[in-house]
Amino acid sequence: MRKVLLSATALATAIASTLALANDKLVQLSQSEENWVMTGKNYNANNYSKATQINEKNVKQLRPAWTFSTGVLNGHEGTPLVVNGTMYIHSPFPNLTFALDLDNPTRIKWMDKPKQNAAARAVACCDVVNRGLAYWPGDGKVPPLIFKTQLDGHIVALDATTGAVHWKLENSDIRVGSTLTIAPYVVKDYVIVGSSGAELGVRGYLTAYDVKTGEQKWRAYATGPDDELRLAKDFNSANPHYGQFGLGLKTWEGDAWKIGGGTNWGWYAFDPGTNLIYFGSGNPAPWNETMRPGDNKWTMTIWGRNVDNGEARFGYQKTPHDEWDYAGVNVMMLSEQTDKAGKKRKLLTHPDRNGIIYTLDRENGDLVSADKLDDTVNWVKSVDLKTGLPLRDPEFATRMDHNGRDICPSAMGYHNQGHDSYNPEKQTFFLGINHICMDWEPFMLPYRAGQFFVGATLNMYPGPKGDRQNYEGLGQIKAYNAITGEYKWDKMERFAVWGGTLATAGNLVFYGTLDGFIKARHADTGDLLWKFKLPSGVIGHPMTYTHKGTQYVAIFYGVGGWPGIGLVQDLEDPTAGLGAVGAFKKLANYTQMGGGIMVFSLDGKGPYDDLSLGEYASN
Amino acid sequence: MPFPLQTRLPRAFRIAGCLLLGLVPLQAAAAPAELRICASEIEAPYSYKDGSGFENRIAEVVAAQMGRKATFVWSPRAAIYLVRDALDKNECDVVMGLDTGDERVLTTRPYYRAGYVLVTRADRELEIGSWSDPRLAAMGSIAMGFASSAEAMMKKIGKYEDNANYVYSLVDFKSRRNQYLRVDPARMVNEVAQGKADAAIAFAPEVARYVKASTIPLHMQTVPADDTGAGEPIPFQFDQSMAVRKGDQALLDALNDALVKAAPQIRKVLGDEGIPFIPAAS
Repeated sequence: MRKVLLSATALATAIASTLALANDKLVQLSQSEENWVMTGKNYNANNYSKATQINEKNVKQLRPAWTFSTGVLNGHEGTPLVVNGTMYIHSPFPNLTFALDLDNPTRIKWMDKPKQNAAARAVACCDVVNRGLAYWPGDGKVPPLIFKTQLDGHIVALDATTGAVHWKLENSDIRVGSTLTIAPYVVKDYVIVGSSGAELGVRGYLTAYDVKTGEQKWRAYATGPDDELRLAKDFNSANPHYGQFGLGLKTWEGDAWKIGGGTNWGWYAFDPGTNLIYFGSGNPAPWNETMRPGDNKWTMTIWGRNVDNGEARFGYQKTPHDEWDYAGVNVMMLSEQTDKAGKKRKLLTHPDRNGIIYTLDRENGDLVSADKLDDTVNWVKSVDLKTGLPLRDPEFATRMDHNGRDICPSAMGYHNQGHDSYNPEKQTFFLGINHICMDWEPFMLPYRAGQFFVGATLNMYPGPKGDRQNYEGLGQIKAYNAITGEYKWDKMERFAVWGGTLATAGNLVFYGTLDGFIKARHADTGDLLWKFKLPSGVIGHPMTYTHKGTQYVAIFYGVGGWPGIGLVQDLEDPTAGLGAVGAFKKLANYTQMGGGIMVFSLDGKGPYDDLSLGEYASN
Repeated sequence: MPFPLQTRLPRAFRIAGCLLLGLVPLQAAAAPAELRICASEIEAPYSYKDGSGFENRIAEVVAAQMGRKATFVWSPRAAIYLVRDALDKNECDVVMGLDTGDERVLTTRPYYRAGYVLVTRADRELEIGSWSDPRLAAMGSIAMGFASSAEAMMKKIGKYEDNANYVYSLVDFKSRRNQYLRVDPARMVNEVAQGKADAAIAFAPEVARYVKASTIPLHMQTVPADDTGAGEPIPFQFDQSMAVRKGDQALLDALNDALVKAAPQIRKVLGDEGIPFIPAAS
């Protein structure tokens, strides 16, 4: 079925056959349990592996097989890739890349150590993370390529076999406050990359480049005139109440859209059937809502864009006129499920920062369900499925002259950048949750010559189900059904489950914790079946691959990112790091900085079972 | 225990009184009453921890007129926090250089008036007479402070958004979300001198010292009045006062008296600083 859809797409768009072939190749690679070719495992972005060698019965026998340190001590987000027997590993700034041969990881196959403008460090808002790599399988003329982003705003294509730079270009200008932390995304012969820096008035955009040459194919903005938003002629025709044309200007005061934010630094998904890529645009700027009246479209929006020309078929704005920094860039997971009316539908499920998990029909953008990630979400009472609008509770607004108390979720969201998973056999999403609330105290200090400073103090602390005395109980792990809206099980965690989850057909869900555990739970019951204490806390997500008949589970360790900013930069003021320092003040009691990967297998089976492997051999 | 003390007190006072009569003038010369000035260590050129700020000097002049000694209660934070975090907590008694009529405090009669200026390189020979001047419209980067009259005016003439990234570069792209960021006035002036900014628009007292000291000749002109005709006109000139806590009327009166007497000396400090004189509004 998928094959038929693919060739139909290729014919309809009349694109050179090599292009469709390359895409086919990536789809094929992604279907093999020996590979993990993109961050979300496959275009459905479901982090789901059919491998069953490791399962609920034997998972307690997992032991380390081998490890690798990146030599970088900041937060390690995302996950490594495995393609055809090679593992590709990324690091935070200075954005090192390593290739390891899985037959023999002893000697580094190649590494890329870019020289970067150190000024990029100063511009990055929340630690100097990077979310990963992308792979393009080659077309016979151009070799297979690895794509990476650098904090200083460059995107680089590396020869996947040698590590040599194939091309390099600037996507984001750090001189205007724009950095890159996102993992690039390959679809067909395009490499797609977003942007960061909304806090600094960067106007968000998404760009597609030719994988072979770096030539820009299209660029679509999140705010501004319709042609720059790249709205299709039938944009939102299925849901005109979401809004259609002219709104990228009309929902802003004056020219404020020019610095309106809406960057995207999260994750993507792609459906070869609809030919759309799916992603979310982030928060509007400036952060103070009184300074930007209007809905601020199209920030905070779930987009479906035609991958060949960037044109948007639909856009659904989740949080019109954001007041809390609920940047909507989180993971989009694709599934095919039967809805309540018994109709088989192609769906997209997105756990948002704002504490709502949305499921849309990914063909036209219809809103199918919108449930709270936890019953303690309070800024919104419910989402009207007919209008798509959130019904707000004004008590938890953040306007000037109003001290917002106990707003849930906090600015970090009940879900942040974690890449979650979906088990299609069980129709279950496994969600890593932040259980954090906040006080938002605005203040205004007048000064001389008519100047005034409008600020807010953010204090963050555990949600109502956590331990507010001891600042623990900041996270949850949950199993969710998007059709019934029910949670099959949920468990509290000491800290936020920041990195995301991995689901396997072995009846398991894996994830890492900020305090440094990798854990495996039973997919049906949530029972804890296995755990291992890693050298440092986790903000990435686990992956799995099979090599030479052995199934491995790999995970980055390396605490940091927004939750670890206090630990990484040794901050003490609880309101620093936009309040994260206070919320995670106990983290340093459990873990310290580190950076690398650990690879597990049953009984630690692996390449070094052969004792001669990696030994010095004299002639 | 208190009882015997009370009975002895009158005698003790009489003795002390005799001594005091003779000593009072001497004591005043040795240790005059102090005037506690709330001052920021990092608000150059207004106030700086070595006392080199021009408002530090004005405070000394005014205190001397009152027969007191200016004692600076230093804060490591920006001056914007002085009222909330120092004056209102009784850590000090006087704040320098607030807008006359600031509602959080009692303000003295204005001790000077100043306005916004446009700073350009002298070799560009610019004299801007209107906000609709095409030479202003053609400028690519204009340095200014956040939330200032300059910023409000730039919004009004549609130049704010395109210039915002440049202004953020002046604070190294730090987020203003929950921290106060001040654009360093010395940096603003230097940007103009180096040709990195076409102009700087700032409150004259904030930049005058650096304009005067620049080795590359700079031109500092008063900005035109708001001539857009749209909405409320944006003010560019402000009366500056000293301030005391609400209810501290006696100190306010004493400061007002001293300001009259100190006027010539204050004029001299402002003149040395290079701040263009503007007569008080009233």
